[in-house]
Amino acid sequence: MTQILQLRNISKTFPGVLALQNISFDLDEGEVHCLCGENGAGKSTLIKILSGAYQPDEGGEILFDGRSVVLNPHLAMKMGIQTIYQEHIVFENLNITENIFTGSEISTRGILQKDEMRKRTVEVLKYLKSDLSPEMKMGELTSGEQKTVEIAKGLVFKRRVIILDEPTASFSAIEIENLLEIIRTIKNSGLGIIYISHHLEEVFKIGDRITVLRDGRKVSSYRFDGLTKTTLIKDMVGRDPSTFYRRESVPIGEVVFEARNVSGNGAKNISFVLRRGEILGIAGMTGSGRSELMNVLFGSARLDFGEILIHGKIVKHSTPKAAIKSKMCFITEDRQNTGLFLPQTIAQNVTIANLMNTKGFVARQTDDVRIGDGFVRRLGIKAKDSQTRVMNLSGGNQQKVVLAKWFNTNGEIFIFDEPTLGIDVGAKQEIYKVMVELLKEGKAIIMVSSDMPEVISMSDRVIVMKNGERMGELTGEEVSEENILTYSIGDKAI
Amino acid sequence: MNTEIAEQKRVVRGSLFQRHENLTVLAIFIGFVIIIVALQLMMGGGHRFPTFISPVNLLNILQQVGVPGIVAVGMTIVMISGGIDLSVGMLASLVSIVTATGISKWHLGVGASILAGIMTAVVLETVMGYIISRTKVEPFIITLGGMITFQGIALLLCNSREVIMRGELDFLKANLIRGAKDPVSGLNLIIPPYVLIFFVIALLGGLLLNYTKYGRRIYAVGTNPHAAYLAGINVRNMKLSVYVIMGFLVGIGAVMLLARVNTGIITLGQGLEIDSIAMVVIGGTALKGGKGNIVGTLIGVFFLGSIGNAMNMLRLPSEVQFVAKGLVVIIAVTAGDVSAKVSEFLSRRKEVHWRRTMGGEGRAGINKIVKSSQTR
Repeated sequence: MTQILQLRNISKTFPGVLALQNISFDLDEGEVHCLCGENGAGKSTLIKILSGAYQPDEGGEILFDGRSVVLNPHLAMKMGIQTIYQEHIVFENLNITENIFTGSEISTRGILQKDEMRKRTVEVLKYLKSDLSPEMKMGELTSGEQKTVEIAKGLVFKRRVIILDEPTASFSAIEIENLLEIIRTIKNSGLGIIYISHHLEEVFKIGDRITVLRDGRKVSSYRFDGLTKTTLIKDMVGRDPSTFYRRESVPIGEVVFEARNVSGNGAKNISFVLRRGEILGIAGMTGSGRSELMNVLFGSARLDFGEILIHGKIVKHSTPKAAIKSKMCFITEDRQNTGLFLPQTIAQNVTIANLMNTKGFVARQTDDVRIGDGFVRRLGIKAKDSQTRVMNLSGGNQQKVVLAKWFNTNGEIFIFDEPTLGIDVGAKQEIYKVMVELLKEGKAIIMVSSDMPEVISMSDRVIVMKNGERMGELTGEEVSEENILTYSIGDKAI
Repeated sequence: MNTEIAEQKRVVRGSLFQRHENLTVLAIFIGFVIIIVALQLMMGGGHRFPTFISPVNLLNILQQVGVPGIVAVGMTIVMISGGIDLSVGMLASLVSIVTATGISKWHLGVGASILAGIMTAVVLETVMGYIISRTKVEPFIITLGGMITFQGIALLLCNSREVIMRGELDFLKANLIRGAKDPVSGLNLIIPPYVLIFFVIALLGGLLLNYTKYGRRIYAVGTNPHAAYLAGINVRNMKLSVYVIMGFLVGIGAVMLLARVNTGIITLGQGLEIDSIAMVVIGGTALKGGKGNIVGTLIGVFFLGSIGNAMNMLRLPSEVQFVAKGLVVIIAVTAGDVSAKVSEFLSRRKEVHWRRTMGGEGRAGINKIVKSSQTR
């Protein structure tokens, strides 16, 4: 077997973050090489380097067919490296043939050769044993079928390497089997495949080799003979405990919030209770349905089935407005798009959610400024005053504005979705302190997080989710990296 | 990385025009007035008072912009919420025909006819607002459809003819300051009630946007509807409400128009949507919503309204005023962006200069700045 691709000592630093450190990686013809690791282990960065989107730091080397290359997106494509991202980038109104050939149309003297393009599409679809017809509109296909089209594109242009990033997210069981079958087919035609997945079952079915990443480093690399899931999970965990934040413990009170068999928006039959003074962590891999569940609890997605109880009384939240009335707060994951009004001032952002709780029609600016300035001081938001526009703040300070907005509603049940995403270490600690302050005031917190040390150090209890289902609940000593990973990527039974 | 960018932005923010939103267009407007006055002085050899800024002419401009101004206030609110309304012109024509027909054909009486006209506008705008707020179809398209429909309804109602009245609405154009004379020309000064109504509506609109919870929520909905929804705002009803307000204001504006010409006719509101949108964008309101204010719109109203007048004063053919109006719109909306680019360029040059003189990271430091601004 000949080697197509080889990475030697690849590192990548972003300001303040070492995303990859001395990674070596290689790929043979006709091989499926899997990449595994927790969220944030460096898989995405590695793919972006291979697709030419990022340039690695100096000192590393990428060899393609034994020759050293400097990749950019155009060159990567030309040499035959195709990346298929989790999110489909397709032209929904164009048909399959047009999607495949957009940007690389076959034409003679400016006239499109439609028959030729159609013929090549048909050939490849047939080879993949797909029953799709080239005239079908891309927007009408399921995500499994769209993935097939993207793979077909790779074959039409005779690519050498295909990178699949979480290809089976939101797939049905049959679609997964179909995809694995297609991968076996193209593998036999000599392509090299890099396969990234949180689902160990798939990895074991399809992979020839596997490389485990952790915190930007390569931990191990195996062939699959005799390999067990337990070994892999052991490799993926193992952080130095001193990096964990130590939080004060707070006395835990009565149950304030309860979910009974909640289903909807992708969440399936979830039940849990939340007590005063407690942080309930919700762990799981990206795409495990955690944020979707939070939207159901907050009324911003439909509750199909089940009950939500606050202080023992059943509530029906059909809108966020109703949820806010029953003293819930939702700090969303994507603060810039769903949490903030970027062009507006801190004062305006802080007071917007509370407007409904204040009586009267008039909103006095002096009141806003007083409240805004109060939070700027209390939370240590780094800004001149509350008249600063939020878009001029850093990520950590923007997050504090989101918190201030919710504190100002006097909420009692807080949902934090990825509270410290994209925030530097110092600001992280400050946000943790604020969360503990909330607990001391008798509030309760549900915290969704993909940051493993954060889940472990902050949570009193942890629920692990996978594919929208609750896989298990961990308390006390059970809350460990190994247990969380076992539930979130492995089978329920291990 | 984030803090770095934040600091850079803070440097960029130093531009005077960016710190005070309405200053850019105000500066251009004042420049325009100065040019016209200067031209008039030159033409008159410096002996005659420039008629452009004579009290009688200023009041004249006010009478011309009163009605488009009322509609522009509504348009400002609609556009801040992230919408737009192309139907206002034809809706105004329809209202004028309904009111005129009510007075002279149906003999409903003046008050009832005015009420019927205004209610027509409110109901039709409510229907459009309902569709816009409950579906994902662009307001541009819905109101375009509304514009064509209203034109049809209006033509059907008047059998494609004009509806002439006998001056029943003259009380709306009575002179409030009868007897006052222009000290320059000796001509009579006129302030009709509808000019006052325009100022009252502008004042109320400004207060609504700035000092009420409702106003805050309009900005929130226009800036980021998703975040507004999650903050507990009923986004759909907010969107609906701005069109109801718009309908009310178009109704009032159309009655004023009718009072001026005494005839209900389909051409009455023609071009009103273009003029009012132009006034609002000159005033700095963003088409994508969330940004803008009534003061800016007022500047836009006076600016656009004075262009045609100024062209007359300079004895230029009336066709020229379209060119001038168009250029003003383009200049006013690009000026802010250009001034931001200039100040960004200057601040970067300053920083580069600073790094050079300080030694420090030298060329590498500059590259880093350039690179980090490119990655964003």
